[in-house]
Parts: sequence; C-alpha cells; structure tokens
Amino acid sequence: MEIKFDKLYPLNVDRARAWQVMRDVRAVASCMPGAEITQEISPTSYQGTVKAKVGPALAQFAGIVDVIGLDDANFTVSYRGKGSDKGGSSAAMELKAVLMVAADNPAHSVLKGEATVTVNGKFAQFGARIMVPVAEMIVGQFVDNFAAAAAALPDVSAGKTAPNQAATDPDQAASAAKEPNKPNKPKELNGLSLVWQLIKHWIAGLFGTRR
Amino acid sequence: MDTHDSSLAERKAGLAGMGDSRLRKEDARFIQGKGNYVDDIKMPGMVHMDIVRSPVAHARIKKIHKEAALKIPGVLAVLTADDLKPFKLHWMPTLAGDVAAVLADEKVHFQMQEVAVVIATDRYAAADGVEAVQVDYEELPVVIDPFDALKPNAPVLREDLAGKTSGAHGAREHHNHIFTWNAGDKEAADAAFAKAEIKVRENILYPRVHPCPLETCGCVASFDKIKGELTTYMTSQAPHVVRTVVSLLSGIAESKIRIVSPDIGGGFGNKVGVYPGYVCAIAASIVLGIPVKWVEDRIENISSTAFARDYHMDGELAATKDGKITGLRVNVVADHGAFDACADPTKYPAGMFHICSGSYDIPAAFCSVKGVYTNKAPGGVAYRCSFRVTEAVYIIERLVDILAQKLGMDKAEIRAKNFIKKEQFPYHSPFGFEYDSGDYHTALNKVMAAMDYKALRAEQAAKRADPNSPSLMGIGLVSFTEVVGAGPSKMCDILGVGMFDSCEIRIHPTGSAIARMGTITQGQGHQTTYAQIIATELGIPSEVIQVEEGDTSTAPYGLGTYGSRSTPVAGAAIALAARKIHAKAKKIAAHMLEVNEGDLDWEVDRFKVKGQDSKFKTMKDIAWQAYHQPPAGIEPGLEAVHYYDPPNFTYPFGIYMCVVDIDRGTGETKIRRFYALDDCGTRINPMIIEGQIHGGLTEGYAVAMGQQMPFDAQGNLLGNTLMDYFLPTAVETPHWETDHTVTPSPHHPIGAKGVAESPHVGSIPTFTSAVVDAFAHKGVTHFNMPHSSYRVWKELKKHGLAL
Repeated sequence: MEIKFDKLYPLNVDRARAWQVMRDVRAVASCMPGAEITQEISPTSYQGTVKAKVGPALAQFAGIVDVIGLDDANFTVSYRGKGSDKGGSSAAMELKAVLMVAADNPAHSVLKGEATVTVNGKFAQFGARIMVPVAEMIVGQFVDNFAAAAAALPDVSAGKTAPNQAATDPDQAASAAKEPNKPNKPKELNGLSLVWQLIKHWIAGLFGTRR
Repeated sequence: MDTHDSSLAERKAGLAGMGDSRLRKEDARFIQGKGNYVDDIKMPGMVHMDIVRSPVAHARIKKIHKEAALKIPGVLAVLTADDLKPFKLHWMPTLAGDVAAVLADEKVHFQMQEVAVVIATDRYAAADGVEAVQVDYEELPVVIDPFDALKPNAPVLREDLAGKTSGAHGAREHHNHIFTWNAGDKEAADAAFAKAEIKVRENILYPRVHPCPLETCGCVASFDKIKGELTTYMTSQAPHVVRTVVSLLSGIAESKIRIVSPDIGGGFGNKVGVYPGYVCAIAASIVLGIPVKWVEDRIENISSTAFARDYHMDGELAATKDGKITGLRVNVVADHGAFDACADPTKYPAGMFHICSGSYDIPAAFCSVKGVYTNKAPGGVAYRCSFRVTEAVYIIERLVDILAQKLGMDKAEIRAKNFIKKEQFPYHSPFGFEYDSGDYHTALNKVMAAMDYKALRAEQAAKRADPNSPSLMGIGLVSFTEVVGAGPSKMCDILGVGMFDSCEIRIHPTGSAIARMGTITQGQGHQTTYAQIIATELGIPSEVIQVEEGDTSTAPYGLGTYGSRSTPVAGAAIALAARKIHAKAKKIAAHMLEVNEGDLDWEVDRFKVKGQDSKFKTMKDIAWQAYHQPPAGIEPGLEAVHYYDPPNFTYPFGIYMCVVDIDRGTGETKIRRFYALDDCGTRINPMIIEGQIHGGLTEGYAVAMGQQMPFDAQGNLLGNTLMDYFLPTAVETPHWETDHTVTPSPHHPIGAKGVAESPHVGSIPTFTSAVVDAFAHKGVTHFNMPHSSYRVWKELKKHGLAL
C-alpha cells in the first residue's frame, strides 16, 4: 500500500539550526524512532535498519538510504530509502523536505515534508487498517525529536545560547546533536506504545474542528 | 405393528415424511459439541504441516533457505517445488482445464501463494519452522486490474504458458487472456439494439468476495506403506471427485484410496476445489508413511482458497417505449486470478452465466465473458449459488431497474410486463435453456399484497417531499430465476465425469433402513431431509432411516454437494432407488397376500388388497419376508442403487422485496423489512427450507452490505481477517419474512427444485435495488457494492443529501 504525506510541521527553532540537523543523514536517522544508520557506504549512501511494529506485524527492515538531493541554498533535501525484512515485508520511501522560515515568527521555522511510502508484504496486509495513523504518529515523534535536536545546537545566527542546559558547552552541544533527546526516544516503532497516543488523537479528533 | 384402525393421517404423521418440519437429526451432536470435523481427527503418530506463503504478489524466487527451519526442534522436513518435481506434483490440474502451482515453481503469482511446507511433530514447531524459512524474492511488476492485464505491454504473468495460443476453452488472444466464451445470438441481439426505441447501458462490478465458511479447509492424510492404501479425511464438498483426482495424480489405484468428508462446517463453494495444502499433506504422508494433518487458519482461508465473483459487467437492454424488453447484451471481463481454477462444468467456463435473461421473455440476447489472469488468488467458485448465477441475476435485475427508471415506469410494472407467462412453460430461453416451470405473476402479486407496495411508494413520496426528513427510504424488488441441479451429463461434467448423482438404499430385515449417498452435507441437513423422501416413498418412519455420506469407501460415486444440486439430482436418485425397492416389495406383498400385483393398492406404509382394509402387508412385514423367506424366483434382500442423470436443470424462482431506511447523517442503512417469497417446487422439510433461506439471506446481506477483498496496487490483500471481512452475526442480521408458492418441477421424480442458494442469489440485487432506489429521485441509477455506511454516506454527499 502506498501512503502519501504532504504536510507542514511548525518547529520552535530557527531555520539555520534546523538545517544543520536536516542535512546530516545520521542526525536525521537518530531522530527517527527505531531507525539506525549502521554503515556509511559513501557520503550520499548509507546502510541502516528500522525496527517497526504495526498491529500484529513486527518487522526489522534493513536497507539503504540515498541522499538524492541536497540544496543548501534552498534548504531542501531529498532522500530515497528502500528496505526489506526477513519475514517478507518491504518498504520504500521517497522524502523531500524543505525548511522555511515561519511566516509569523522569523525565529521559528516550518518543515514541509512530502513523502511517498510504499509498504508491501505482511506489513501492508496486517497493518493496513492502522498504517496511516501509525505513520502519522511516527512522523509526529520524528518532528518532535528533530526540533529538540536542532534546539540543542548553539544558536549561531542570533548569537545567544539555546534554551538548553547543554548549549553553553560546544562539546556537549555536539554530543546532544548526535544523540538528541535520547532518553525519550522509543527504541522501535512499537504499535502498542502508540496505542494511547492514537486513542488520544482520535478523541481529540472527535471534539476537534472538522472540515 | 400398526393396528388396522390407526387413522391414515396418524400413520402418515408417524412417518415424518415429505412436508414434515421434523427437527434436524444433525443438531443433537452439533449443539453438544460432539461433531466430528477434520480438526477433531487425531491419528496415532500424526505430524503437522504448515505453509510458507509469499508475502508479495508477483516475484521470482531466487532462493529458499531451509537450514534455519530444519534446526528447530520438532521440524522434520521442509518441502519446496523442487522436492515435489520428481513426483510431478509441483503443478496440478485445475477443474477449469488449467494448471495451478502446488508449491510456487520459480515464481510466485499472488500474495499468500504456497511456497514451501514445513512438517513437524507438533503444530507449534511447524509454525516456528515456517517463520524460519527464508525466501529471497526478486519482485516483479504486479497486475491487479483485469483491464490492465489485457494491455499489450502488460507484464507476462504465466510464463509457463508461453507460446500457448489456445487453452481449454479456445483461442488465447493475449498472454494474460484465458478464454472468451460467447452464448446467445449476437446478430439477433445487435439487430434488436439497432432498431430499439429505448436503450440503457451500465457498467456494473460484482466485486471479489470470499465464501468464508466457519470451518476453514484442512485434511489429515494417512498413507499405510504396508497396505499401499491412502486414507484422507478432508473438508471436501465432492469427495468422490477428489478420490479420482488423487488417483490420477498419484498413480494409486482408486480402490486403494479412501477420501472421507466428515462433518463439514459450511462450504458455500469454498470446499469444492483441491488446494495445495491437501496435495502437500498427502505427498508428505506418502513419503513419510505417517499421518499428516494440515488445517489452515482464517487468514490463509480468505487469502488463498477459492474466492467468488470478480465480474466486471457491461450490460445493455433494448426496449420499446412502453417497456417491452427486446434485446439484451452483456460483456464481462472476469478476473480469474493467477490460475484458472473456476469450479464450473467443463463446457461452461462462465458457468451458467447465460441464465442472465432472467425471468423475462427476451427475444434476442447475447453474452460474452472474457477470462483474464491477474496477480490474485485463483478461484471463481459458486459462493452459495449455482455456477455464476448470482452474477447473472445481479446484472439482469439491475438493468431492468435502470430501464424502468429511464422509462419512468414502476419496478413491479415493468417486471410483470416482461415476465415469462405461466402458459409459456416449458420456456426456451434465448440462450438455449429450457425453463421447466414457473408462475412469476402469482408470486409477484402475493408479495406486493403482503408488503402493501402502494402504501410504501406513497410513504416514500412523502419522505422525498420533506427536505427535513432524517432518512431516505428505498424499495428494492427482484424477481429471480435460478438454474440449479447440474446437471444433465450430456451438458455437464467435471473432469470428464458426468454430473449425475447416486443413492443406495438397504432395508434391513426388521424394517429400518440405511441410505448412502454420493453427496455430502455441509449444513444442509441431508441426514434429515433425505430420510423424509424415503419415508414417504417406502412407508418407513424417517426416524429409523440412517443417511450416510462422504466416505468414498462406502458411498456410491457421486459428484458432491454444491450448486443446489443435492435435492434436484441426489434427491431424485433417492426417490428412484426407493421406487425400485417399492416395486420389489409389491411383488413380495402380492405373494404374501396371495393376490396379483394389480390387485394391490399402496397406502402410506402398506400394500393392501383393493377394497379390503384389513388385508395388507406393511413395509416392515415385507422386509422381514424378503430376508426370511423370499418368494420363489425373487432374490433375497431388499435394496437398490440408483444413479440419476437429470434430463434437465431445475429452475427455482422467487420474488424478493426490501425496504431500507438510510440515515442521512451517517449513511447507515437499516433494513426495515425484507420479504422473501421462494418457489422451490415440492417442499420436503419446510423448517429446513426456512433455515436455508434465513442463512442465504444473511450471506446475501453480508455480500451486498459489506464483504469485499480490497487489493492495493502492489497486490496486498487488505481485508483478509475477520476484523475487515464482514461476517454478520445476530447483531447485524435483519429480521427476515419468508413466504412461498409451490410450482413443482415437471421432470423431477418428486417435483423438488432445490432452495439453498436462491436466497443468496435473489437477495443481493434486492439490497442494491433498495439502496439505489433511495437515490432514484436524484437520477441515480446504480452504484456498486458493498453498500457500507461509509460508501453510502459518500453517495449522500455527492448528491447533496447528507445531513
């Protein structure tokens, strides 16, 4: 099954710092729940793994992520990933991310993410009914981790320190960027751990504004 | 012994024969959990089999890694196509003249296709073994849509058929094309359309659905290496045919093969075919010399065993301005999945789809069905219907509704105008069927009166006039004719075996009896109803008549139970076997009473001398005489066998009406009333008929309102669990009202036509007719099933009717 994303995610961090994280595949991967870069094949190609559990389907995808476009001038990056798991699930993703300055606050930025994810095999068969909400949750967690990682970097543009206890020490900032927000990061995309979040969102949706 | 003064009526009632609503004999064991299903069978030394299935829909198999699985404690063997090759068992013939992979040979063609099997000492080890088998796949482009499959540059699905320009049903015009089958008179139909005053046309999809019986498929295969005998307990609707197939495939003599269908938890066409799981379990047992059990789970059942329907139909009607139908044309693209495994009589690759002229006297008609390969599971069985009759009834009933709408005529009026009239029977349809009997007008009038149709229409008009009405009201009407009881062997065969059926009756010395049949009950209640036929024919209480089926070592050869054929074919075999016994009994009675046979009259349970009520011999007396001291020149014993080859099909019919209320806020469709009038000819057990109708209506409701098998573009089946696949329970099931008329079949020995499938065939278009009718005032003529709340709500939205 194919899931398409085209969404704007406001970030409480300026564009320059966000871009520093965004252009680094390892940093991006470390913001992704359950994902890990295991080997650098070339500066634009990496091997990695993603552990995920959707409903009854558990998968450990192993595959390759390629950076297919990196445009510093336009704050745009494109990744292509493809992986499969021993149990017969496979997934492919094309992601284009653009960082924009928030219209209402120049100190904030907006992440515009466009992604096409194709999931195949057991994962699609058994996870289909909750795939979209789970994917949305995962992306939500990613964006939170991403913003935290960016905020942990020293704010060079404004010359003031980030509101983070580690930010005054450049070494600590660098390590925070490598392992951003680690204690809160789920080890894998665990469907069960997402259930409560899903229910919360569903209830919020019931009472929230509708189109 | 009965006393002379027993009243006739009491004696008759005591038999519980035809017409008696006797309780089902089967239920005593079922309601106590004492049934004997395949999964209940445990044999000494039995091992278990589980199946490795493809996670992808189309791929080349690069390598299968067995090593890890073989290390798991308890795992005995892992078999792949390469292991079956030396036995030539890696492919098997299908019922439709194609071949199907037993285990994927170099390529997988659909998701969940069987790739390897794991044999282990217990079920858990087998499942662990399946998890441990790793298969390297090279994914190939997937074809899900049958129209895409026929495009010139479509991927080649069946590489094994490369270069084959003709198949079992004629020329193949494309690498994914299976057959094109035509019926009727194209020229006459085209001429009717050329001069038609009114024409209507609609593209109608009958989606892919699955029969989903409560019990999934499975078997226990046990090969005795010493005796060279194979016994297999199997969920089969046609055990004798399976025995023949197993013999042909394995080379074991049919006399050394015993196939037993024990209690079966529903079939609905799903258990007609031979599946790879059976073949692998049998092969494994032959190799290992120990019993091997395989029982699939629900997901495997829905994903890989035979589906039904998947007909993309383009239908047209030609008519005069005043609503007389003059012509019918139907073109179908049929999605058969990866292998053509339709279960149809050999000569009819689209089954009895050409019954699509329905209950109407249409002078010119033509239909054409094109079978196509796609990356989906094979199948195409008759899901609680005679072969493709459901599709046929759906298309004609939808088209007649659409024509009525176009003409501004009432649904009931246009039907009455075009019905075949009572005096036209036997009626020859434009497709060559000879309808045996029917009285459609009487049935329609009865239903309209019972439902107060006029009042319903008035209520609907009032609702439509009120913009604040919270619901939409729809009225559905269908008049269907089925063709069942396949069938005359001059027309119908399965793998070359004529579609007759059989019965063997033995009357024991003390007057009880046993009947053995070539059919097999899966919930129809044969043990109850067959005994009733014998009770009436021979005057023996049905209570002392045992009915046995399903064991090929004891039962006479028969083609099994599907397509509503048990009563029309086997029911006739029973009556005629009983009549052979009756004739012999009469000779014995004449001898006992010292009169000529011509001086005897048959009365309920006895032969009596004409005009002398006190001079008689009951069947019980005669049975004793037959074993004790048969008259000179008469063989001892009292038994008979009959193989019945029906002269024609039977044509049950019915009129169904349904009233729905659709919530304009949610799209939820409530069935307010559903009235089903069935005419199945002579009624053997009215209670069982009513139960059959309730069951069929409920399954029809499931199909119309919720069942579907959605595939994504990569060929993933997104609805193969009961979380997604709609199986109605008592909670969802509406209240059913049933009624009947009786128009016996003139060519059937007891006039019975068969009933189990009518309610399924007839109700599905009735639901669509009702739901669409709710939107008719907005000019809506059709939308496809299933009519789930969400889909109906989208229609409401589309037409500005949603609240």
